[in-house]
Amino acid sequence: MELEELQANWVAMSQELENQKKLTNEIIVKMTRNNYRNKFSKLTNYETVGAVICYILTGFIVLNFGKLDTLYLKLSGVLTIAFLTVLPTLVLRALKRIRNLDILQGSYKENLIRYTKEKNRLLQLQQIAIFVSFLSVLFTPALALKLLRDKTLILSQLRPEQGMAIVFVLLLMVFVSRWGYRSYKKLTNSAETLLRDLEE
Amino acid sequence: MRNSDEFADLIREHQGLLYKVTAIYTNNEQDREDLFQDVVYQLWKYFDTFRNESKITTWMYRVAMNTAITHLKKSKRNPHTEPISDSLLHASENKDEVLEERLRLLHRHIKQLNTLERGIMLLLLEEKPYQEIAEITGLNPSNVGTRISRIKEKLRKNMVKS
Repeated sequence: MELEELQANWVAMSQELENQKKLTNEIIVKMTRNNYRNKFSKLTNYETVGAVICYILTGFIVLNFGKLDTLYLKLSGVLTIAFLTVLPTLVLRALKRIRNLDILQGSYKENLIRYTKEKNRLLQLQQIAIFVSFLSVLFTPALALKLLRDKTLILSQLRPEQGMAIVFVLLLMVFVSRWGYRSYKKLTNSAETLLRDLEE
Repeated sequence: MRNSDEFADLIREHQGLLYKVTAIYTNNEQDREDLFQDVVYQLWKYFDTFRNESKITTWMYRVAMNTAITHLKKSKRNPHTEPISDSLLHASENKDEVLEERLRLLHRHIKQLNTLERGIMLLLLEEKPYQEIAEITGLNPSNVGTRISRIKEKLRKNMVKS
Protein backbone atom coordinates (compact mmCIF):
# COMPACT_ATOMS: atom_id res chain seq x y z
CA MET A 1 0.00 0.00 0.00
CA GLU A 2 1.35 3.40 -1.00
CA LEU A 3 0.88 6.65 0.86
CA GLU A 4 -1.54 7.87 -1.79
CA GLU A 5 -3.55 4.73 -1.23
CA LEU A 6 -3.64 5.43 2.50
CA GLN A 7 -5.08 8.84 1.76
CA ALA A 8 -7.61 7.42 -0.72
CA ASN A 9 -8.74 4.80 1.80
CA TRP A 10 -9.05 7.42 4.49
CA VAL A 11 -11.25 9.53 2.22
CA ALA A 12 -13.36 6.45 1.44
CA MET A 13 -13.74 5.76 5.15
CA SER A 14 -14.72 9.39 5.82
CA GLN A 15 -17.33 9.17 3.09
CA GLU A 16 -18.66 5.92 4.54
CA LEU A 17 -18.89 7.51 7.97
CA GLU A 18 -20.71 10.51 6.55
CA ASN A 19 -23.29 8.17 5.06
CA GLN A 20 -23.79 6.28 8.28
CA LYS A 21 -24.51 8.86 10.89
CA LYS A 22 -26.38 6.70 13.34
CA LEU A 23 -26.06 8.51 16.62
CA THR A 24 -29.30 10.06 17.74
CA ASN A 25 -29.70 13.09 19.98
CA GLU A 26 -31.15 10.77 22.61
CA ILE A 27 -28.04 8.60 22.74
CA ILE A 28 -25.76 11.64 22.86
CA VAL A 29 -27.68 13.20 25.73
CA LYS A 30 -27.53 9.87 27.58
CA MET A 31 -23.76 9.79 27.11
CA THR A 32 -23.38 13.22 28.67
CA ARG A 33 -25.69 12.34 31.56
CA ASN A 34 -23.90 9.11 32.29
CA ASN A 35 -21.24 11.18 33.96
CA TYR A 36 -18.70 8.87 32.37
CA ARG A 37 -16.12 8.15 34.98
CA ASN A 38 -12.54 8.86 34.20
CA LYS A 39 -10.68 5.63 33.48
CA PHE A 40 -8.39 6.36 36.37
CA SER A 41 -11.28 6.18 38.85
CA LYS A 42 -11.14 2.42 39.04
CA LEU A 43 -7.40 2.39 39.51
CA THR A 44 -7.66 5.15 42.12
CA ASN A 45 -10.32 3.17 43.98
CA TYR A 46 -8.02 0.16 44.25
CA GLU A 47 -5.14 2.33 45.33
CA THR A 48 -7.32 4.15 47.88
CA VAL A 49 -8.49 0.88 49.42
CA GLY A 50 -4.86 -0.27 49.52
CA ALA A 51 -3.78 3.00 51.13
CA VAL A 52 -6.51 2.77 53.80
CA ILE A 53 -5.36 -0.76 54.69
CA CYS A 54 -1.77 0.50 54.92
CA TYR A 55 -2.83 3.38 57.20
CA ILE A 56 -4.81 1.01 59.46
CA LEU A 57 -1.76 -1.26 59.75
CA THR A 58 0.37 1.81 60.51
CA GLY A 59 -2.03 2.76 63.30
CA PHE A 60 -1.83 -0.77 64.68
CA ILE A 61 1.99 -0.72 64.73
CA VAL A 62 2.08 2.76 66.30
CA LEU A 63 -0.37 1.75 69.04
CA ASN A 64 1.65 -1.39 69.83
CA PHE A 65 5.09 0.11 69.33
CA GLY A 66 5.83 -0.37 73.04
CA LYS A 67 5.89 -4.16 72.53
CA LEU A 68 8.94 -3.88 70.26
CA ASP A 69 11.70 -4.45 72.76
CA THR A 70 14.84 -4.91 70.67
CA LEU A 71 16.68 -2.50 68.40
CA TYR A 72 16.02 -4.80 65.42
CA LEU A 73 12.28 -4.86 66.09
CA LYS A 74 12.14 -1.10 66.70
CA LEU A 75 13.99 -0.46 63.45
CA SER A 76 11.69 -2.90 61.63
CA GLY A 77 8.69 -1.06 63.08
CA VAL A 78 9.94 2.35 61.99
CA LEU A 79 10.79 1.13 58.47
CA THR A 80 7.42 -0.57 58.09
CA ILE A 81 5.58 2.55 59.23
CA ALA A 82 7.60 4.61 56.75
CA PHE A 83 6.84 2.25 53.84
CA LEU A 84 3.17 1.93 54.77
CA THR A 85 2.59 5.66 54.88
CA VAL A 86 4.95 7.23 52.35
CA LEU A 87 4.47 4.97 49.31
CA PRO A 88 0.66 4.83 49.20
CA THR A 89 0.51 8.59 49.72
CA LEU A 90 2.94 9.20 46.85
CA VAL A 91 1.06 6.81 44.55
CA LEU A 92 -2.28 8.50 45.34
CA ARG A 93 -0.73 11.91 44.68
CA ALA A 94 0.70 10.74 41.36
CA LEU A 95 -2.71 9.35 40.32
CA LYS A 96 -4.38 12.59 41.36
CA ARG A 97 -1.94 14.59 39.21
CA ILE A 98 -2.73 12.38 36.21
CA ARG A 99 -6.47 12.68 36.79
CA ASN A 100 -6.22 16.43 37.09
CA LEU A 101 -4.51 16.95 33.74
CA ASP A 102 -6.63 19.65 32.20
CA ILE A 103 -7.63 18.45 28.76
CA LEU A 104 -8.46 21.94 27.57
CA GLN A 105 -5.35 23.59 28.92
CA GLY A 106 -2.36 23.22 26.69
CA SER A 107 -1.84 21.69 23.32
CA TYR A 108 -1.67 18.05 22.33
CA LYS A 109 2.13 18.18 22.57
CA GLU A 110 2.14 19.81 26.02
CA ASN A 111 -0.42 17.36 27.38
CA LEU A 112 1.47 14.44 25.91
CA ILE A 113 4.67 15.60 27.64
CA ARG A 114 2.85 16.11 30.95
CA TYR A 115 1.04 12.80 30.75
CA THR A 116 4.14 10.83 29.77
CA LYS A 117 6.13 12.35 32.64
CA GLU A 118 3.38 11.69 35.18
CA LYS A 119 2.93 8.14 33.93
CA ASN A 120 6.66 7.56 34.25
CA ARG A 121 6.57 8.87 37.81
CA LEU A 122 3.72 6.53 38.65
CA LEU A 123 5.53 3.57 37.08
CA GLN A 124 8.65 4.44 39.04
CA LEU A 125 6.68 4.52 42.29
CA GLN A 126 5.03 1.20 41.52
CA GLN A 127 8.44 -0.24 40.75
CA ILE A 128 9.79 0.99 44.09
CA ALA A 129 6.72 -0.46 45.81
CA ILE A 130 7.46 -3.92 44.37
CA PHE A 131 11.04 -3.83 45.64
CA VAL A 132 10.01 -2.52 49.04
CA SER A 133 7.31 -5.11 49.49
CA PHE A 134 9.87 -7.85 48.87
CA LEU A 135 12.44 -6.23 51.12
CA SER A 136 9.84 -6.14 53.85
CA VAL A 137 9.91 -9.96 53.84
CA LEU A 138 13.19 -9.59 55.70
CA PHE A 139 11.65 -7.95 58.74
CA THR A 140 7.86 -8.18 58.73
CA PRO A 141 7.64 -11.85 59.88
CA ALA A 142 9.54 -11.02 63.06
CA LEU A 143 7.54 -7.83 63.52
CA ALA A 144 4.18 -9.55 62.98
CA LEU A 145 5.08 -12.42 65.31
CA LYS A 146 6.00 -9.97 68.04
CA LEU A 147 3.00 -7.71 67.61
CA LEU A 148 0.38 -10.44 67.14
CA ARG A 149 1.64 -13.19 69.45
CA ASP A 150 4.24 -11.41 71.52
CA LYS A 151 6.85 -13.98 70.44
CA THR A 152 10.39 -13.42 69.24
CA LEU A 153 11.48 -14.96 65.96
CA ILE A 154 14.81 -16.69 66.46
CA LEU A 155 16.38 -17.82 63.20
CA SER A 156 18.38 -20.63 64.82
CA GLN A 157 15.14 -22.15 66.15
CA LEU A 158 13.41 -22.23 62.79
CA ARG A 159 12.15 -25.59 61.59
CA PRO A 160 13.67 -26.81 58.24
CA GLU A 161 10.42 -26.20 56.33
CA GLN A 162 10.25 -22.65 57.67
CA GLY A 163 13.85 -22.07 56.55
CA MET A 164 13.01 -23.49 53.14
CA ALA A 165 10.01 -21.20 52.88
CA ILE A 166 12.19 -18.15 53.59
CA VAL A 167 14.73 -19.21 50.95
CA PHE A 168 11.91 -19.81 48.47
CA VAL A 169 10.47 -16.36 49.11
CA LEU A 170 13.90 -14.77 48.70
CA LEU A 171 14.43 -16.56 45.38
CA LEU A 172 10.97 -15.56 44.21
CA MET A 173 11.82 -12.02 45.25
CA VAL A 174 14.92 -12.00 43.02
CA PHE A 175 13.01 -13.47 40.08
CA VAL A 176 9.99 -11.15 40.30
CA SER A 177 12.18 -8.08 40.90
CA ARG A 178 14.25 -8.83 37.80
CA TRP A 179 11.11 -9.39 35.74
CA GLY A 180 9.49 -6.23 37.12
CA TYR A 181 12.60 -4.19 36.47
CA ARG A 182 12.83 -5.35 32.85
CA SER A 183 9.17 -4.63 32.18
CA TYR A 184 9.57 -1.24 33.78
CA LYS A 185 12.65 -0.43 31.70
CA LYS A 186 10.85 -1.41 28.51
CA LEU A 187 7.91 0.86 29.31
CA THR A 188 9.99 3.81 30.43
CA ASN A 189 12.43 3.50 27.52
CA SER A 190 9.62 3.93 25.02
CA ALA A 191 8.27 6.85 27.08
CA GLU A 192 11.75 8.42 27.20
CA THR A 193 12.07 8.12 23.42
CA LEU A 194 8.73 9.82 23.00
CA LEU A 195 9.71 12.60 25.42
CA ARG A 196 13.01 13.20 23.60
CA ASP A 197 11.13 13.35 20.33
CA LEU A 198 8.59 15.79 21.78
CA GLU A 199 11.19 18.06 23.29
CA GLU A 200 13.26 18.30 20.09
CA MET B 1 -25.31 27.27 29.75
CA ARG B 2 -25.74 26.19 26.15
CA ASN B 3 -28.56 23.79 25.56
CA SER B 4 -28.15 20.07 25.14
CA ASP B 5 -29.92 20.02 21.75
CA GLU B 6 -27.26 22.32 20.32
CA PHE B 7 -24.57 20.01 21.71
CA ALA B 8 -26.26 16.84 20.45
CA ASP B 9 -26.59 18.38 16.98
CA LEU B 10 -22.88 19.19 17.01
CA ILE B 11 -21.91 15.63 17.98
CA ARG B 12 -24.29 14.15 15.44
CA GLU B 13 -22.86 16.36 12.74
CA HIS B 14 -19.26 15.49 13.60
CA GLN B 15 -19.56 11.89 14.79
CA GLY B 16 -17.32 10.78 11.91
CA LEU B 17 -14.54 12.99 13.23
CA LEU B 18 -14.86 11.44 16.70
CA TYR B 19 -14.97 7.95 15.23
CA LYS B 20 -11.74 8.53 13.32
CA VAL B 21 -9.89 10.01 16.31
CA THR B 22 -10.99 7.25 18.66
CA ALA B 23 -10.20 4.51 16.14
CA ILE B 24 -6.54 5.45 15.77
CA TYR B 25 -5.87 5.50 19.50
CA THR B 26 -7.48 2.19 20.45
CA ASN B 27 -6.97 -1.43 19.51
CA ASN B 28 -10.42 -2.91 19.78
CA GLU B 29 -14.04 -1.95 19.41
CA GLN B 30 -14.78 -1.95 23.13
CA ASP B 31 -11.92 0.41 23.94
CA ARG B 32 -12.93 2.60 21.03
CA GLU B 33 -16.50 2.89 22.30
CA ASP B 34 -15.27 3.68 25.80
CA LEU B 35 -12.98 6.37 24.45
CA PHE B 36 -15.75 7.70 22.20
CA GLN B 37 -18.03 8.20 25.17
CA ASP B 38 -15.26 9.68 27.25
CA VAL B 39 -14.60 12.20 24.47
CA VAL B 40 -18.30 13.07 24.17
CA TYR B 41 -18.44 13.59 27.92
CA GLN B 42 -15.32 15.81 27.89
CA LEU B 43 -16.70 17.84 24.99
CA TRP B 44 -19.95 18.33 26.90
CA LYS B 45 -18.04 19.29 30.04
CA TYR B 46 -16.09 21.99 28.20
CA PHE B 47 -18.80 22.96 25.71
CA ASP B 48 -19.56 26.22 27.52
CA THR B 49 -15.93 27.30 27.36
CA PHE B 50 -15.82 27.23 23.56
CA ARG B 51 -15.52 30.86 22.51
CA ASN B 52 -15.54 30.70 18.70
CA GLU B 53 -11.89 31.80 18.67
CA SER B 54 -11.09 28.82 16.48
CA LYS B 55 -13.13 26.55 14.25
CA ILE B 56 -15.41 24.22 16.21
CA THR B 57 -13.74 21.21 14.56
CA THR B 58 -10.27 22.45 15.62
CA TRP B 59 -11.54 22.62 19.19
CA MET B 60 -13.13 19.18 18.89
CA TYR B 61 -9.93 17.60 17.55
CA ARG B 62 -8.01 19.18 20.40
CA VAL B 63 -10.32 17.91 23.13
CA ALA B 64 -10.67 14.48 21.51
CA MET B 65 -6.94 13.99 20.96
CA ASN B 66 -6.05 15.24 24.44
CA THR B 67 -8.63 12.88 25.94
CA ALA B 68 -7.22 10.00 23.90
CA ILE B 69 -3.72 10.56 25.31
CA THR B 70 -4.85 9.70 28.81
CA HIS B 71 -7.18 6.92 27.84
CA LEU B 72 -6.23 3.62 29.41
CA LYS B 73 -7.05 0.28 27.92
CA LYS B 74 -9.59 -1.60 29.92
CA SER B 75 -10.21 -5.28 29.86
CA LYS B 76 -13.75 -5.05 31.13
CA ARG B 77 -16.53 -2.81 29.98
CA ASN B 78 -17.03 0.23 32.11
CA PRO B 79 -20.45 -0.21 33.71
CA HIS B 80 -21.18 3.45 33.08
CA THR B 81 -20.73 3.15 29.33
CA GLU B 82 -23.84 3.66 27.26
CA PRO B 83 -24.35 0.57 25.04
CA ILE B 84 -24.06 1.96 21.53
CA SER B 85 -22.70 -1.04 19.66
CA ASP B 86 -25.85 -1.49 17.65
CA SER B 87 -26.27 2.11 16.84
CA LEU B 88 -22.84 3.36 15.99
CA LEU B 89 -20.88 2.98 12.83
CA HIS B 90 -20.50 -0.72 12.63
CA ALA B 91 -21.31 -0.84 8.94
CA SER B 92 -22.17 -4.48 9.24
CA GLU B 93 -25.09 -4.58 6.83
CA ASN B 94 -23.63 -3.04 3.71
CA LYS B 95 -20.02 -3.88 4.42
CA ASP B 96 -17.53 -3.48 1.60
CA GLU B 97 -15.08 -6.29 2.33
CA VAL B 98 -12.28 -4.84 0.21
CA LEU B 99 -12.56 -1.45 1.85
CA GLU B 100 -12.77 -3.06 5.30
CA GLU B 101 -9.53 -4.93 4.64
CA ARG B 102 -7.82 -1.81 3.36
CA LEU B 103 -8.96 0.13 6.41
CA ARG B 104 -7.61 -2.56 8.71
CA LEU B 105 -4.28 -2.29 6.94
CA LEU B 106 -4.40 1.50 7.11
CA HIS B 107 -5.00 1.41 10.87
CA ARG B 108 -2.25 -1.14 11.31
CA HIS B 109 0.22 1.19 9.63
CA ILE B 110 -0.93 4.20 11.66
CA LYS B 111 -0.70 2.26 14.92
CA GLN B 112 2.97 1.59 14.30
CA LEU B 113 3.57 5.30 14.83
CA ASN B 114 4.12 6.83 18.26
CA THR B 115 1.38 8.88 19.95
CA LEU B 116 2.54 12.23 18.63
CA GLU B 117 3.01 10.92 15.11
CA ARG B 118 -0.42 9.28 15.15
CA GLY B 119 -2.00 12.62 15.98
CA ILE B 120 -0.14 14.38 13.18
CA MET B 121 -0.93 11.58 10.74
CA LEU B 122 -4.63 11.77 11.60
CA LEU B 123 -4.71 15.49 10.88
CA LEU B 124 -2.67 15.03 7.72
CA LEU B 125 -5.09 12.40 6.44
CA GLU B 126 -7.91 14.79 7.30
CA GLU B 127 -6.16 17.19 4.90
CA LYS B 128 -5.72 19.86 7.55
CA PRO B 129 -3.37 22.70 6.60
CA TYR B 130 -0.04 22.84 8.47
CA GLN B 131 -1.22 25.93 10.35
CA GLU B 132 -4.22 24.07 11.80
CA ILE B 133 -2.13 20.99 12.59
CA ALA B 134 0.25 23.32 14.43
CA GLU B 135 -2.64 24.94 16.29
CA ILE B 136 -4.01 21.59 17.47
CA THR B 137 -0.73 19.89 18.30
CA GLY B 138 1.19 22.86 19.71
CA LEU B 139 4.10 22.37 17.29
CA ASN B 140 5.26 25.23 15.13
CA PRO B 141 4.25 25.03 11.45
CA SER B 142 7.79 24.43 10.15
CA ASN B 143 8.26 21.67 12.70
CA VAL B 144 5.00 20.13 11.48
CA GLY B 145 6.47 19.98 7.96
CA THR B 146 9.65 18.30 9.17
CA ARG B 147 7.74 15.76 11.21
CA ILE B 148 5.36 14.96 8.38
CA SER B 149 8.32 14.17 6.11
CA ARG B 150 9.72 11.87 8.79
CA ILE B 151 6.37 10.16 9.32
CA LYS B 152 6.00 9.58 5.58
CA GLU B 153 9.47 8.08 5.46
CA LYS B 154 8.70 5.85 8.42
CA LEU B 155 5.43 4.70 6.88
CA ARG B 156 7.10 4.03 3.56
CA LYS B 157 9.68 1.81 5.28
CA ASN B 158 6.99 -0.01 7.23
CA MET B 159 4.97 -0.57 4.09
CA VAL B 160 7.96 -1.99 2.25
CA LYS B 161 8.58 -4.37 5.16
CA SER B 162 4.99 -5.60 5.31
